[in-house]
Amino acid sequence: MKILTACSTGLGSSFMTQLNIDKALKQLGVEGVETDHTDIASVTPASADTVFVGRDLAEAAQGKNPDVVVLDSLIDMNEITKKVTAALERHGVEVPNK
Amino acid sequence: MLKEYFKDGAILFAPEVAGWSEAVDEVTAPLLKAGSITEGYVEAIKKSIASPGGTYIDLGGQVAMAHARPETGVNATSLSVLHVAKPFLLADDENHPITTMFCLAAKDANTHIELMQALATLLTDADKLKALGEATGAEDLRKILL
Repeated sequence: MKILTACSTGLGSSFMTQLNIDKALKQLGVEGVETDHTDIASVTPASADTVFVGRDLAEAAQGKNPDVVVLDSLIDMNEITKKVTAALERHGVEVPNK
Repeated sequence: MLKEYFKDGAILFAPEVAGWSEAVDEVTAPLLKAGSITEGYVEAIKKSIASPGGTYIDLGGQVAMAHARPETGVNATSLSVLHVAKPFLLADDENHPITTMFCLAAKDANTHIELMQALATLLTDADKLKALGEATGAEDLRKILL
């Protein structure tokens, strides 16, 4: 499975979100999930299984990928962990430390 | 960890600012002075914030990370921060009150991983985030950030 984060520039907010998703994956004991960050303009349905964006880019991200997840905060680990867990389960990835 | 990226005088405190544009001017000033960024970078940040969806630099917890594309004027990867006691509205949007604005200057999309990792570790620490929100001067900020 691949999780992508996207923001307008593809190097600030999205990078921060990717690092926080990596942290969540580690805490959840999930291995083998690929993560990356990019600018929203380059997102395609084939880019990743799930794309995480901040609430301000929810509209811009609609339709770019079949599975778009919107975060209210990019630094709230509770929200990120919850939404990452849901995404993993949607894509049939087992979550050991739920 | 973050220490090496903060330029001299790059940790700023102000009781309040007139608005988000002034906040950008203040937070970018130390990086301009150090030659880490150009005027073009400051303009690119302002243009980005004013654009539709430009409030995406609001990370949550009243913290924003002002930045733009490296090619708009970054000479050296560096960081600065402004904390204001009274929140200002990012892009004049009531949904985006901000008290802490970082300015991230990154040379390219990937080499600033150490800086981002350190910043992510800091901002996902609820205790540190709370302390940041309650800071009453630059000395408080230095204690939390360095």
